[in-house]
Amino acid sequence: MNKALFIISLQHELAMAIGNKLDLKAMLKVFLKVCFSRLNLTSAHIYMHCDHSGMPSKLAALESKNYQHLLSIPKNKRGQPWQQNSVLTNFAEQLNHAQQNISFRCKNDHFLFGFIISDHGLLIFETHYALADEVQKALLPILNKLATSCYTSLVHDSLVKEVHSRQLIEEKVAYQAQHDGLTGLFNRQHINHLLTNAIEDAHRNKHIGTIIFIDLNRFKPINDAMGHTVGDKILLTLANRLHSLSSEHIDVGRFGGDEFIMLVKNLNFGYQDAISQLITQINELLAIPFVIDANSYKLSCSIGYALFPLQSSTVNNLIKFADIAMYEAKRAKSKQGKQYQPAMSEKIKRRLAYVDDMKRGLEHGDFKLYYQAQYNHYGDIIGAEALLRWQHPVHGMESPGVYIPIAEESDLILAIGQWVLEQACRDINKLEQLALPESFKKIAINVSAKQLNQHDFQERVLHAIKQNNIPAERLALELTENLLVENIEDSIKLIASLKANAIDCSIDDFGTGYSSLTYLKRIPASVLKIDRSFVANIEQCNESAAIASMIISLGKTLKMNILAEGVETAEELNCLKVLGCYQYQGYYFSEPLPFDEFIQLLN
Amino acid sequence: MNTGLFTWHTHSDTLCDFKHGLTIAQNSGAKSLLVLTCSQNHYPEDKLSSLFSACPLTIFGGIYPMLTLQNTLLKQGALIIGFNETFDVTVFSQLHQVGTEDKLEDVITTTLDQKNNYCGHDNFLMFYDSLLNNIENFIDCLFECLDHGINIAGGGAGSLDFIQRPCIFTNQGLHSNAALLVTLPSKLSTGVGHGWRIFQGPFLVSDAHGQTVQSLNYQPALEVYCQAIESASEHRFNSDNFFDIAKNFPLGIEDINDNLIVREPISADNNHLQWLGNIPINSMVYLLESDTETLISSAEQAAITAFSTASEITSTSMIFDCISRVLYMEDKFEQELDVIAKHCPTPILFGVLSLGEIANSASGAICLLNKSTVISSW
Repeated sequence: MNKALFIISLQHELAMAIGNKLDLKAMLKVFLKVCFSRLNLTSAHIYMHCDHSGMPSKLAALESKNYQHLLSIPKNKRGQPWQQNSVLTNFAEQLNHAQQNISFRCKNDHFLFGFIISDHGLLIFETHYALADEVQKALLPILNKLATSCYTSLVHDSLVKEVHSRQLIEEKVAYQAQHDGLTGLFNRQHINHLLTNAIEDAHRNKHIGTIIFIDLNRFKPINDAMGHTVGDKILLTLANRLHSLSSEHIDVGRFGGDEFIMLVKNLNFGYQDAISQLITQINELLAIPFVIDANSYKLSCSIGYALFPLQSSTVNNLIKFADIAMYEAKRAKSKQGKQYQPAMSEKIKRRLAYVDDMKRGLEHGDFKLYYQAQYNHYGDIIGAEALLRWQHPVHGMESPGVYIPIAEESDLILAIGQWVLEQACRDINKLEQLALPESFKKIAINVSAKQLNQHDFQERVLHAIKQNNIPAERLALELTENLLVENIEDSIKLIASLKANAIDCSIDDFGTGYSSLTYLKRIPASVLKIDRSFVANIEQCNESAAIASMIISLGKTLKMNILAEGVETAEELNCLKVLGCYQYQGYYFSEPLPFDEFIQLLN
Repeated sequence: MNTGLFTWHTHSDTLCDFKHGLTIAQNSGAKSLLVLTCSQNHYPEDKLSSLFSACPLTIFGGIYPMLTLQNTLLKQGALIIGFNETFDVTVFSQLHQVGTEDKLEDVITTTLDQKNNYCGHDNFLMFYDSLLNNIENFIDCLFECLDHGINIAGGGAGSLDFIQRPCIFTNQGLHSNAALLVTLPSKLSTGVGHGWRIFQGPFLVSDAHGQTVQSLNYQPALEVYCQAIESASEHRFNSDNFFDIAKNFPLGIEDINDNLIVREPISADNNHLQWLGNIPINSMVYLLESDTETLISSAEQAAITAFSTASEITSTSMIFDCISRVLYMEDKFEQELDVIAKHCPTPILFGVLSLGEIANSASGAICLLNKSTVISSW
């Protein structure tokens, strides 16, 4: 009677030990420990069916019954893992093959008893005594319960994994929603969100804050010349440096491109000093050379900032103001940063109005092309440079020095450039109808940086030529030295390609830029134009004469024609002749003339 | 050969006398000292600790309610055994702070790694703080992690008032909540006996947690326990005599091979019973009884087992005998020592009266015993 009670209590105890943990291995360990102590075992082992990746899984119908060792008490056998114990391994194989309870008497008089955990695995007990039949039978319902619990644990494990992977994805999505992909800094949206909170906080606690806009100067040429990989590395390095300034009250974000933003909170009335100090720190971080792939790059930035709630309490305005102030700092080439002032907005408004005027001017035909003739030393007209003139309805004739830079800041320069190209071609077409002097070769137009960066610039030029039915050799392009250098490899390709289509290029304002002579040699340009600054009073200025002489020698070496711009006096002309320059343009010969007058000049 | 080189003892409870003995031991040529002292001594902890720290020899041992030397009981005083080998001593300390099984496994695995898994050592003595609440988890985990079969004997240190004090000795001083594992240089033979038989039961442990049993047969545990005794004996419980009666009726957990693992009651509160060892929930238990003759006989049988399997080179014998046996047998306890000594082949026989005993079970696992005699020889 007591034996029966014992077995019932044993059964109950083992049953209660199943399913106490959700994790499969932990659950089985609890069960195995109870078996171990209550059945006086010498060792106990569990083998589980595993999938191809080695993870425990439920055995599917018709699937081969492969099991892997999962758990043993004690963990090892005399320094060897149980997996290397041949007696146990052989017994497990037999048990797996038999798929029913079996036992085995070992040489040391110990016994091995094997049980099947249906669809899941094998359970093996090592004892120093023979396990009674009634106890073995009593284990069968326990094993069924264990199989169910194994399945529950597997389902739980897969759920845990799914929840975990979902959590990871959600965390990743949340991170991506707030952070910039390249630099890991806060992105624009999150900075906007932080700024909203900071403005509220500033109102509530009567604090002052600032939003600082940082824009790299001349980063684009590096990106263009060295590739985006290098550019990205520079941005990442800078992001890390700027991030070093972040704190409880300073958030750093990337606004886009080479624009960074800092949100500074909790400033008191000594805010001006704090901001100046921070700007100094930013400049110091920028001053450290950026060493990327063994090359060193020096960068600077322009900084603008706006205060909240002093200057605005809306996110959009504050960011706009800081941006405006940054552009002012960039124009002024200020390193100290500029605080936004309402006058800056007025200036912007005026500029926008001016841009509108230009647009209207373009639509209404207020822009005209004037032509300044170019001469050889015999006094023959060899060509002309087309120069843009704008008759402003209110201001009268506007200086290109005023409106060209403004047009270049907006995309309007593209529309203007396109108009110049097409108008010049139309004018060339008209010239072609006339009896032109034999010496007259071509009309040159100026090309802006943005035009040059258009991916279809060459097609546009060729299309204009074709549309106006003019010989391509009648058109020439003038590119400034600085423009070429910004994207030298592409420029070389473009000029070569244009040349192949009979369109010559001149290098304008030569001597004022930073051309590497190595590059110059590779630029297939036809004409070098000596900048007017070297021509003015050349006969009195040895330095100008020396530079002009050098350019002339260079042109000869590179087999390029040399043309001097801004020739205004006979003395300048004579001096240039002496130095070996035989092509000229300037008021001494002719001022820029409306097209009709230029035709008369030709005649 | 691990000849017990040196033996010194005193019945004095003063530190001065102990210090004198320790000095002699240090000069005896021994390399390791097993130091055992009685809990009734008046040894200031800090001074005792300083003595151990200053000792150049390896020290291990502990404070026990009583000690034995040959067939003599020492109720106070101390015993120092000097060995001519340097024993490896490992302290597992702050075990009460190791809350989970996983952490316990980490602590043990880390230590085993440091000790190269006790490679080449299969024989151990274990001294531990008897009031360490997770000692059974510790020995279970130790067995799980040790990758080879071991022979072990040990006993719980402390005092009969069940107030926890530092009671384990090492060269670092005195420790509480610690277990000490000492490797022995030669094979350890053990014999185990308790002499208790079924008196009432079985009872189903219907609610239990660790060492505390809340209910037996779904009734409050204390009520069931008292009723079972009163219904079958002349004992009657009142508010003062629980332990006087309970020392005669420990609990027995029956295992699958009809062996009884004895558990001694240590407190009775709120109708719950607390025992010196875990009682698994859903297990079947009995109330046990015995008499002096049976107890002594079981000790004699344990001695015969231990000494008959001992090798010829065995020189040292140590007893871990439960203090409750002294309390039960009172003056007749020395008869137990006599029968053990009678069979002892080694020149040195000594022991401790412990609060819980440690030995291997027949399966090889390490077991926590109560009210038992563990006789070891190496």
